[in-house]
Amino acid sequence: MTTLQQRLSPSTWNAIPLVWRYTIVLGAMALVPLFTDNEYFIRILGNVCMFAALAVALNVIVGYAGLLDLGFVAFFGLGAYGYGLLASPQLGLHLPSVLALIAVAVLSVLFGLLLGSPSLRLLGDYLAIVTLGFGLIFVQLTNTLDKIEIPGREDTFNLTGGANGLLKIDPLGLFGYTLTTVTQYFYVFLAWLIVVLIVVYRLNQSRLGRAWRSMGEDALAAEVMGMPTRRLKLLAFAVGSAIAGVTGGLFAAWQGSAFPQNFGSDVLINLYAMMVLGGIGNLAGAVLGASVLSIVPEILRNPELIRMVFYLGLVIGLLLLRPRRNGLLLLAGVFVFGLAVRLIVQAVAPDLVAAPNIEVASESVSTAFERFGQQFGILTQQWILLLKEPQLAGNLAFVALIPAVLGLARLKPGPLKLAATAPVLYLLAFVWEARLTAEPAVTRLLLVGMLLVLMMIFRPNGLLGRRKIEIV
Amino acid sequence: MALLEFNTVAKNFGGLQVIRNFSFKVDPGEIVSIIGPNGAGKTTVFNLITGIYTPDHGDIRFEGKSIVGLEPHQICERGIARTFQLLRLFLNMSVRENVMAAAFPRTRSNLADIILHLPGFRREEAHVRALAEEKLGFFGERLAGTYDQPVYSLPYANRRQVEIARAMATGPKLLLLDEPAAGMNPNETHEITHLIGELRARGGYTILLIEHDMQVVAGISDRVIALDYGEKIAEGAYQEVATNERVIEAYLGRQHKATGSRGAGERG
Repeated sequence: MTTLQQRLSPSTWNAIPLVWRYTIVLGAMALVPLFTDNEYFIRILGNVCMFAALAVALNVIVGYAGLLDLGFVAFFGLGAYGYGLLASPQLGLHLPSVLALIAVAVLSVLFGLLLGSPSLRLLGDYLAIVTLGFGLIFVQLTNTLDKIEIPGREDTFNLTGGANGLLKIDPLGLFGYTLTTVTQYFYVFLAWLIVVLIVVYRLNQSRLGRAWRSMGEDALAAEVMGMPTRRLKLLAFAVGSAIAGVTGGLFAAWQGSAFPQNFGSDVLINLYAMMVLGGIGNLAGAVLGASVLSIVPEILRNPELIRMVFYLGLVIGLLLLRPRRNGLLLLAGVFVFGLAVRLIVQAVAPDLVAAPNIEVASESVSTAFERFGQQFGILTQQWILLLKEPQLAGNLAFVALIPAVLGLARLKPGPLKLAATAPVLYLLAFVWEARLTAEPAVTRLLLVGMLLVLMMIFRPNGLLGRRKIEIV
Repeated sequence: MALLEFNTVAKNFGGLQVIRNFSFKVDPGEIVSIIGPNGAGKTTVFNLITGIYTPDHGDIRFEGKSIVGLEPHQICERGIARTFQLLRLFLNMSVRENVMAAAFPRTRSNLADIILHLPGFRREEAHVRALAEEKLGFFGERLAGTYDQPVYSLPYANRRQVEIARAMATGPKLLLLDEPAAGMNPNETHEITHLIGELRARGGYTILLIEHDMQVVAGISDRVIALDYGEKIAEGAYQEVATNERVIEAYLGRQHKATGSRGAGERG
């Protein structure tokens, strides 16, 4: 008899044929707009699809062919600016979308080959520097190509709009329809992601994909085994760049504008994080990584949700502790310790204690999920100690927390350590409540950073990665 | 006509002469071994043949045509494949994929064929798959059941065989094996000796071999070439080369003058 746990285990999921696994996940995404008309939510899903397509394309260059390309995001930008110039008032051109997108793809391939050709003899770190230069030049040019002096003319020519960007870019027009709503663009990006996945999957399962991966593993051996590595490198650049370019074109049409900062280094780093988090060289991993890193930072914009994530993480962390008895003891210990502290302080110095500050069900709160988050916050504030000077108390507690954690780390495992852990965890929660939930903008990034660190500690190969690097 | 021919080939690294005035031939269907102490330039010979290095002087001919200046993948297409002394497999790919990848020079599908899964691509893919099975099947039990495992999970001796299968998949006429018995136990050494014989008998390959293990060399070579400091010091049947004074000297070191003359006297 199979238990529920067995039925939900990863092996069951992996037993489903690949095509169906993708159909289930992407199909579920496609159904979302039927259940909600929350534009914000659908926009995030559109972003997921867009970044997933980019991460998959990056995977061709970095994951398969093993070329450390730090200029990748420039092709995304090239596509956006290319589309923007061909379909906006900037040059007075209004090409049909499909035509503009094809032109953008060709342009990206050409630039991909251009970037690829001087890199043929470069590998690893050296290639990274050359491509990084390309990426930086692109951003610089978009910033400065708004005042081009033309000999024999008085005025300057404005190509890219400089820091103000390209504006009023035409929306997509497909089969006579003009796409305007967020939901429509979400479907466009979903369809594009599916096309990209099919193309890259098929390439990977062919002589080209095998040759790319061989080259990524050992370029010399691949060359000696009859694979023309130069041509294969250029081809990888061309394929990755073409996908990035078209994605950029779609992005420009959706946003209706293109700005230099849309294609800066932070976007590049984000894309690499998505790819590495999912597992380098794994397509599903790239999609998963893009989802996690697009959705999590958005969830964490809400202070109530940040609070829930923190306590959830704490509880899950304790439940993962082995032996399990220790985890449960600790959980109970932290709870009781917190109550005790609160009661004692209330009895001894009632003047210091502040009232709970979460308002019940304000009008901004709409979904059941957010209401739940609020209820949870109210409950928490019944437990944790709230002081009148939260900033000062939080800062002091923060300073106390550091030696406490260091001291705890020095203790030998045993009952003493177990007993000492509970107050430290309580102190952590106190700092969290007093300082960090008050500033979600900062805490959000802290949490995302911690999430990345933790994930890479527990899964060094990424979530779905299976690579193994042998140290000889 | 000789399959492979070296005409007065020389190679220097900086001031160091690694290969000096080296000439030899390999005829179709032969098994030729190159022996010599460490640093004699044996692997450099393989690197010159496969185009990783270009000779500073002399000519290398394959089937009568010069292959000097060709890129390694072009030389592979002409029909030369090799294995490496310190295995260079694609570790994160499966056994099957390692072999299929090496069929690259025999296949022609382009981007459109692959993306649209045109019939030509499907046929070729099925063919490559069958080819990989055939080449891996050559090794019988040892590799059976491991085709879909990543290569890093295989033990050392099996990896050597995967590397030979990979070389076979490029469709070569000449196989270059760089120390196929290195790091193997006596059993495995015996197995690989038998296998090299089979490669010629059943596979029809001509084989050029670098080997330190004299048991292997003695067991299968038609001809043995001894190298020392990049120079050919002896060539002939195994017995001749193994008893050649210069070869013994190269391996055991030159005897002192005094003892040398006595040794000569004794022999006389």
